Amino acid sequence: MPQITLPVADLHERFRRLAAAWKKESRHLSNTAQMAMLPSYQRIIGLGLAAVPLILEELRREPDQWFWALESITDADPVRPEHRGKVRLMAQDWLEWGQQHGYLTA
Amino acid sequence: MIDYAAFPRLRPDNHRITSPSAPDYNCVAWAAGDSGSWWQPGVYWPVPTPPGDYGLGVLVQLFLSLGYEDCGADARPETGFEKVALYSDGTYYTHAARQLPSGKWTSKLGKEEDIEHDTPEDLSGGVYGAVLRIMKRPVPTTA
Repeated sequence: MPQITLPVADLHERFRRLAAAWKKESRHLSNTAQMAMLPSYQRIIGLGLAAVPLILEELRREPDQWFWALESITDADPVRPEHRGKVRLMAQDWLEWGQQHGYLTA
Repeated sequence: MIDYAAFPRLRPDNHRITSPSAPDYNCVAWAAGDSGSWWQPGVYWPVPTPPGDYGLGVLVQLFLSLGYEDCGADARPETGFEKVALYSDGTYYTHAARQLPSGKWTSKLGKEEDIEHDTPEDLSGGVYGAVLRIMKRPVPTTA
């Protein structure tokens, strides 16, 4: 199957729209699995590695439950054991990982 | 900001907002007395859970591990006990609320505010589904 790559501007717009929808739909949810199964979130995961810099930028702007998506896309888990459950520290570990792997500039 | 469309039984006269929004902790943490962590099976959860299980059972197991026992559907205040109400939409556990010494209830609404509400039912019938379990434990004594 041929891989379809969105133009950068389209990718950014699509991510922005999906992220806004997910934030609205998930605002009162507490179960991350339930949040991750929302169609908007699943579509962001479906954007693949191209979405990782956008997710990390969003995580830098506002800590939120993006960890499930990042793990699903990258197959990485850089969160230190002592940081688990601490949303801002988990975000910090992912941002450091993003810089180390070239997804994010300092 | 609360989306009242998600809570059809929440009215101006049965709740009040008691905190600003915060992404740092969720309802499960708040019900367990922790306002510094987001409790989630597989990430941060005090008891082992089967991988991929995010249903009511893991929430019941959590509160059993914290010293609570099932008391059916009895949400009335009981002297010497504190209670939690557990919610589910039939697939996922969706919410946990904690009874205050006053007999009212406190809830963290996802990433949004904490509220004080009159009864567990005030948050049912919408995004949280139904109250499926009430659990209680003796109020911890301080030395």
